[in-house]
Amino acid sequence: MTNLTAQMQHPGETGDMASPADKGRRKFLVAAGWSLMGASMAGTAFAAYKYLFPPVLYEPPTVFKIGHVSIYGLGVDERWKLKGRFWVVRNMRGIYNMISICRHLGCTPNWFPDQKRFRCPCHGSIYDAHGNVRGGPAPRTLWRGQITRDPLDGELIVNTVIRLDPDPVQTPQGLWVKEKVKEVTPFYIEHSAPAGASCASNRLLC
Amino acid sequence: MDEKVTREIFPRDSRKSYGLVELMKKTAPIVKKEPEDTVYVWPNLLMIEIICAILVTVGLMVLIQFEHAPLRSLADPSTTPNPMRAPWYFLGLQELLVYFDPWYAGVVLPGMIIVGLMLFPYLDVNPKGVGYYTYSERKFAVFNYSFGFAIWWITIIIGTYLRGLDWQWYWPWSNHLEHMNPALVTLVPLHLIFVNWFHVSEGVGKLFGDIIFIGYFALGTIIPMIVWKPMYKAMGLWRYLTFSFFFLSMMGVALKIVLRLLFNIKYVLVTPWINI
Amino acid sequence: MLQKIKNEIVESQIFKSVFRHGYPDNDLDRAYAIFSSVFLHIHPVKVRRSALRMRYTFCLGGITLFLFIILAVTGIWLMFYYTPYTGLAYRNIKDLQFVIFGGNLMRDLHRFAAHGMVLFVWLHMTRVFLTGAYKAPREFNWVVGVVLLVNTLVLSWTGYLLPWDQLAYWAVTVGAKMASYTPLIGQNGPWGPQLGFLPTNDIMFMLLGGTVVGQNALIRFYVLHCVVLPLVVTVFLAVHFWRIRKDGFSGPL
Repeated sequence: MTNLTAQMQHPGETGDMASPADKGRRKFLVAAGWSLMGASMAGTAFAAYKYLFPPVLYEPPTVFKIGHVSIYGLGVDERWKLKGRFWVVRNMRGIYNMISICRHLGCTPNWFPDQKRFRCPCHGSIYDAHGNVRGGPAPRTLWRGQITRDPLDGELIVNTVIRLDPDPVQTPQGLWVKEKVKEVTPFYIEHSAPAGASCASNRLLC
Repeated sequence: MDEKVTREIFPRDSRKSYGLVELMKKTAPIVKKEPEDTVYVWPNLLMIEIICAILVTVGLMVLIQFEHAPLRSLADPSTTPNPMRAPWYFLGLQELLVYFDPWYAGVVLPGMIIVGLMLFPYLDVNPKGVGYYTYSERKFAVFNYSFGFAIWWITIIIGTYLRGLDWQWYWPWSNHLEHMNPALVTLVPLHLIFVNWFHVSEGVGKLFGDIIFIGYFALGTIIPMIVWKPMYKAMGLWRYLTFSFFFLSMMGVALKIVLRLLFNIKYVLVTPWINI
Repeated sequence: MLQKIKNEIVESQIFKSVFRHGYPDNDLDRAYAIFSSVFLHIHPVKVRRSALRMRYTFCLGGITLFLFIILAVTGIWLMFYYTPYTGLAYRNIKDLQFVIFGGNLMRDLHRFAAHGMVLFVWLHMTRVFLTGAYKAPREFNWVVGVVLLVNTLVLSWTGYLLPWDQLAYWAVTVGAKMASYTPLIGQNGPWGPQLGFLPTNDIMFMLLGGTVVGQNALIRFYVLHCVVLPLVVTVFLAVHFWRIRKDGFSGPL
């Protein structure tokens, strides 16, 4: 009677019924079963993860033909902000562009010509005309987009996906990257200053 | 039809004596008490629930006579509204993002708040104060909850009333329509202050910052361990360490906000990978 | 006369087949009314008189549940007119606001019930905290409650992308960008770039289905807001209530 109860409670584990070889086989089959189940679960998880990454994107354009250098005056030009989300900046040595995406959390900063600052309305990051961080929580300087000259007609082409992002240095004035590091091809095009321009109005443009 | 059977499930009978007996592990909470004084859910509780539901509906209906769901202009990636204010329940988070780097304020800190809240019942070893409002029997627990709650609500209030254009600090009496000049003092990481004061190299300055940061956690853990020994004994090592980590982090958030607002300090801990 | 009609209804075969008990005007039927109903049997048949005291619970959990029900109902009504397409979503909301009969009512109710739900989840949590109702044996139910709180917040966050207005766009841009700062798995997070995460393969891309907030993000948030998260909340609510019944009410004895 007791034997029968034991057998009912633990079928297969009642000593003499199963030989050691049987036991080993069972152990193996259980392990194999669980491994197979684990593997298929992992495979399913991976497939689900893959499924969430679309291989084709339909996103707004990122390459813009912005015309000749001569149409841009000294300083920050906002005409491409609405269409392309970048500013064109011309200084005494040449021309470059900065992506108008705050490096903190991606809002669009506003340009204040009187303060000579970009200021973000989301968390109060402040950048100067070079994109250096002058205040607020931004952890890096503004991106500069690729700028090249069209070999056919000499117009400028901006690509906002290819971006320059050097590591900044912490200074008492904020996060800083030297202009020399940022004024490199293909993110900068050298050009003579517009006629009659002087950098007396803005020291930063010299 | 009127001869309907009406009977209670346990009819009281004066000729019999009753006893409710139950075996429990631990010390029984119900000792020398009368059998529980219970009532039927139908209609007692259901009526309360229906009344609550009606009151909520009426309240909502009255509210939407005065206030409508907002709808701003069409989404436009090139222009961010100024200032961009999140809904009130996320304003605390938005305000914290001003004081900390996004990886901390946006990801790690909310994660720690959630995990910390989840762990609360496992860290609170005080068996008293179940089932009634009490402050005197569990002062420390109530203090902790209230402190976290206060940070949350104070940051919400700052975000709602004290932040204006360009997310700048505006007092209620200042002109909210005028762009303020950014503060002349920029935010400085702590190690640069040490460099200025003590004329040490930047590396040494960073080391000071690291020592302050680690020292805060180390001393904050060890001192209460010695001073409030009974508390430590009651909690046990691991529970105490977990609690101390969350407690000091919470206090650290408040400290950092004060440091930022009063002394314009951007980071205390500066490493090549993370800054806090 | 009325009594007679009532009796006719209550004693009819149809009524009996549905409810299986008489009108709950006696204790037996009151018990039946609760435990033979799929909706009411989240209640016990009897509760302690002290558990009904409003100054203990303030009915905060119940109000939260009721607001969730309002949200589900008004949400379904709104879905009849809403298209999760960037070119239409905003216009649909404008239609709801100005053209469709009751559209504004549904939208207002949905919005303020959502505000209310966040508020009452917090209040309920505070009440549970202050009465020590999270202590053993109810620790796990507190954890479930925190999960529900987080879900409530995520639900409101996913909800405000849907109107496709400025608040929607920027709140979600900021929120998604925050995800990109996740340590180890975000393009901007500590050790994220070192582990090979780029704008095209990190957690933010997975959330938005793209590198910027666009059509893929809208449809993702729509599915999360209307299907996935409500389902998750419902499941956890079931666990939450089940545990209240199993662990017992914490109130005064």
